[in-house]
Amino acid sequence: MGNLIASELSQAWNEFARSFAHLLPRLLAVLIIVVVGWVIAYLTKIVLRSVLRLVKFDRFSERAGAAQLLNTAALPSASELLCQLVFWLIWLGIGMAGVSFLGIAGLQQDIASFLHFLPKFFVAVLIVFFGMLAANFFARAALLAAVNAGLPSPQLLSLSLKVVIVVLALSMGFEELGLAQNTILIAFSILFGALMLGLAIAFGMGGRDLARQFLEKRFSERRAEKNKASDLSPL
Amino acid sequence: MEATPPPALWYKDAIIYQVHVRAMFDSNGDGIGDFRGLAQKLDYLRDLGTNAIWLMPFFPSPLRDDGYDISDYTAVHPSYGTLEDFKVFLDTARDRGIRVIIELVLNHTSDQHPWFQESRSSVHNPRRDWYVWSDTDTRYRGARIIFLDTENSNWAWDPVSKAYYWHRFFSHQPDLNYDNPAVREEIWKVMKFWLELGVDGFRLDAVPYLVEREGTTCENLPETHAVIKELRCRLDQDFPGRMLLAEANQWPADLRAYFADGDEFHMAFHFPLMPRMFMGLKLEDRKPITEILQQTPSIPDPCQWCLFLRNHDELTLEMVTDMERDYMYDEYAQDKGMRLNLGIRRRLAPLLDNDRRRIELMNGILLSLPGTPVIYYGDEIGMGDNIFLGDRNGVRTPMQWDGGWNAGFSSADPESLYAALILNPVYGYPAVNIHSQGRSQHSLLSWMRRIIQVRKSTSIFGHGSMEILYPANHRVLAYLRQLGRETVLVVNNLSASAQAVELDLSRFKGNILIEMFGRNIFPRVGDLPYLLTLGPYQFFWFRLRRI
Amino acid sequence: MADDDILSDDLLRQLISVGEVDILVGLHTHNHAETVGHVVQVIRDGLLKYFPRERVAIVNADGGSQDRTIDLVRAVSISDVGNVSTIQALRTMHIVSTQYSGTPSAGKAMHIVVAAADLLRAKACVIVAPESSEIQPEWIDRLLRPIFQEHFDFVTPVYRRHRFEGILVTNLLYPMTSALYGRQVREPRPAEFAFSAEFAGRLLGHELWTADAGRLGPEICFTVEALSDGLRIFQTFLGPKGRLEQSPDLVVALRQTVGPLFWSMERTNSKWSAENQTQRVPTFGPEFEVTSQAVNVDRKRLHHMFRSGVGDLQDVLKSILSPGTLTQLQHATTLDEDKFQFADELWVRTIYEFAASYHHEVINRDHILQALAPLYRGRAYAFLTQNSEASADRLEARTQELIQSFERSKPYLLELWTAKERGS
Repeated sequence: MGNLIASELSQAWNEFARSFAHLLPRLLAVLIIVVVGWVIAYLTKIVLRSVLRLVKFDRFSERAGAAQLLNTAALPSASELLCQLVFWLIWLGIGMAGVSFLGIAGLQQDIASFLHFLPKFFVAVLIVFFGMLAANFFARAALLAAVNAGLPSPQLLSLSLKVVIVVLALSMGFEELGLAQNTILIAFSILFGALMLGLAIAFGMGGRDLARQFLEKRFSERRAEKNKASDLSPL
Repeated sequence: MEATPPPALWYKDAIIYQVHVRAMFDSNGDGIGDFRGLAQKLDYLRDLGTNAIWLMPFFPSPLRDDGYDISDYTAVHPSYGTLEDFKVFLDTARDRGIRVIIELVLNHTSDQHPWFQESRSSVHNPRRDWYVWSDTDTRYRGARIIFLDTENSNWAWDPVSKAYYWHRFFSHQPDLNYDNPAVREEIWKVMKFWLELGVDGFRLDAVPYLVEREGTTCENLPETHAVIKELRCRLDQDFPGRMLLAEANQWPADLRAYFADGDEFHMAFHFPLMPRMFMGLKLEDRKPITEILQQTPSIPDPCQWCLFLRNHDELTLEMVTDMERDYMYDEYAQDKGMRLNLGIRRRLAPLLDNDRRRIELMNGILLSLPGTPVIYYGDEIGMGDNIFLGDRNGVRTPMQWDGGWNAGFSSADPESLYAALILNPVYGYPAVNIHSQGRSQHSLLSWMRRIIQVRKSTSIFGHGSMEILYPANHRVLAYLRQLGRETVLVVNNLSASAQAVELDLSRFKGNILIEMFGRNIFPRVGDLPYLLTLGPYQFFWFRLRRI
Repeated sequence: MADDDILSDDLLRQLISVGEVDILVGLHTHNHAETVGHVVQVIRDGLLKYFPRERVAIVNADGGSQDRTIDLVRAVSISDVGNVSTIQALRTMHIVSTQYSGTPSAGKAMHIVVAAADLLRAKACVIVAPESSEIQPEWIDRLLRPIFQEHFDFVTPVYRRHRFEGILVTNLLYPMTSALYGRQVREPRPAEFAFSAEFAGRLLGHELWTADAGRLGPEICFTVEALSDGLRIFQTFLGPKGRLEQSPDLVVALRQTVGPLFWSMERTNSKWSAENQTQRVPTFGPEFEVTSQAVNVDRKRLHHMFRSGVGDLQDVLKSILSPGTLTQLQHATTLDEDKFQFADELWVRTIYEFAASYHHEVINRDHILQALAPLYRGRAYAFLTQNSEASADRLEARTQELIQSFERSKPYLLELWTAKERGS
């Protein structure tokens, strides 16, 4: 019996060693791929950083308002962020491709799905990012217009516009990712529709007196403002 | 000798050459041109292409106004020859197909005329009323003074008669009294005298001023027109085909009256047009020219305008506004010595800075506008002037025939010439003369012969109607001349720079343009405006033909 | 050479017919039928009276008027076509009309006028605003004669204004351009002005025609160009400034003036950064004249809009202004109306920080200009309150003090301008 156990143990050990010996080169290969991938990703990051500096990408992102946005989120500058993103995308991509080389069943499929998911994720991030930029821009434009026109509650107006655009951008992002599409779509529709309906009811029924007074006041103020303003031209 | 009855309307085809017999050619070496000399030079006029000659006054005269102060209406000044010489000259002219127009000063005589001598002698003299006398100088206050530089009143005191006499010109030129039938009869006798000799027409000097009436300007009065009508009626009756040409420096509307219904003058000088031609050239803008043409009334068919660029008088600026006069003075007569009596006393070439292109352009316009052109002697070779000769004598210097002794004008001593020759290097006779220009095909003289020839190749210029075109480019003066089915297009560039012009010739669509000098073909008129480009001061005469 | 893209075939044909001119009058119109008829008649009278011998053309660049503007302008032409005119004139006076496509803008219209002036080799060009109801024939003489006789390149007007009119000019445009460019031009954004052929040639090749700033406010760009290039500038007193029935919206006014000024500063950086002294410009007539008739101004509203504007735009102003300046402005919002102040130094620093922010494009440039509006209102309120009883001389003295304040703070502007990062 002792011999049997030893023999089985020896056989198991031999099989393990054989499997390990079979796996080890692949593991080594994967490690090499990952290391090489890191080097490629790093070099690409360096080159991209120089290119972005050359085309003054940071200045462009500052003009677009992205710098402010990133600053608020305690994120690094736009060019640095992009470099990092590209770095990770390349390294992860090469890494995943290397891991698939291990030949582990099931893992390949998951990796393929992950690689297939990456571009969508990237696009969704972009949609949300630009949506945030647009929200900032239009919110600021609305704020300035409202302030200079003397409208009441300009900040509320600006914020409302910002929220609408952000929600829209998020919805589009989630839709791109394919996550809870229907839920998001329905929720957004309900929210947006309810908002509009609510406003309509508020002004049309519950707030009609207020609405009338508001409009009357606005028009008469405008006329008076016009009459008074025309006495002195800034030019 | 009787003149053969000339064809009617001959004056519409005439190219008139204006000359003073004194200035043309001296045949007897006394330094003064004469009729024998003029007769010798008629071949030149014929070769030039002119077919009529207008002689300035050649009657006996004290010559205080260059012969316009006449002391005998029916004789020839001895300096110019005899009546016989004149008859020979007439015959010679007729043989060469050249008609003769002489000048008759109707309005006034010299104070040396026997009529005036008699009139002033006594209030009872039969000729007393042959002139306009007054005890005061306050009558006819509405009349302007014409010779502003020398006269300060239209009345002059006569110490012999102890009364004032009326004179619209120099004080030594008392006005005849046309209210007196005897005066009118005598004047007709004078005209008849010359008509019987064979002259073809009269240029009647200073006609607007014949009659005076209180409370008027004493110009263009109905009574004046009545006098002219009477003379014209007698002319047509006894001497059909002879011509009367009016010298009346008036606005076109006032000039119209001198044609009446074709029973007054045959022709009249278009005075207001002339300064505007010079103005348009300087402004490089056709506006002054087209506006005066727009204001020019239509005249009876047998009548004709008489056009000129320069003549023996100053370039008159009476019929322009003050602004226009100032402009003309500043542009053409910066030297005040050039100015005289609201005018500029310069010849054509000096006025145009001796610019050959401008001289050609102005002659081109003169010869293409509706009317009979008059060429002042010497302007066909670009003669210069001498403003230091006083009055208007600077434009009446001897003709320059060649570069030799006295410019070939006279064999007399140069100091004895009636006027000094032009001597400066630019216009002097060695540089500007007929002989040397005749030898060159490219001289101004040769060019003038050519253009006169082209003008005479068609009767459209003398007889045709005119329609002004108004292209957007105001530097281009363009008009159509039409007679029957014949059409000529004239396009003139008034500016010193090249111009492009688009002409609306849509109603002539399909016509080919044929340039009249070179007879080259230009493109056919199509649907689009007709585009032409012209060099500085260039002009075109096109015959339109539908083939 | 003129840019032939802006000259339509029809316009070019008209210009060919006009030929070379001595004087070109530019008129930019858009539905000005109420005033333009009178304006062009006065222009014509002025030209006939003072320049009867010169070759003249009036070029009307119209932005697509739906009323009788173009017909009214054309009616004053003097030509031999049609009935004989009763007007005594030596020459034809051409009217060239063209309608350009796109949104009506002063920049497009002026581009056409400058191109036409260059093509026609005009010795002098004068621009007249179509709403100049106060224009007199003498204005034409006063604007053009310095160019003809004394060979100046750029002639700007001096107007008789109401003491409180044109605060944007007297408190910003005039003192700032004086301090930056070393010469005091009273009306940097003139409604009527004249320039020489040489200047027209320079302007034609300028990049302002393709920039938004140039499209909206070419006049300021012209003035800055003349100032920075050291051209000979002359000022001439005209008279009362024509007043619009309805004064322009403040934001529009800022876009037409301050925006182009900031834009021009970028292009002339090397010039204004080296300028040290301010000198007066030769002037015909009084340099300033003010009237004092009563006007109705809602000062309360100005103060209110300043306070609410600073409060509501805090986040925006944080991007533009330095913390110190913003704090001071916020403090000013706490002051009651009767105690309100907006000191020269604060105003100058504010403007310079705005200029630097515009240059660095910290946010959208148009947003920067809009953000200035409530601050201008605060300054206007302070100006009206503090000078309500001031004499004309006192007003002028205060303006000179403001110029000096702009000059003193110039190093600060330079520092901001050349800073690599905002907030440093």
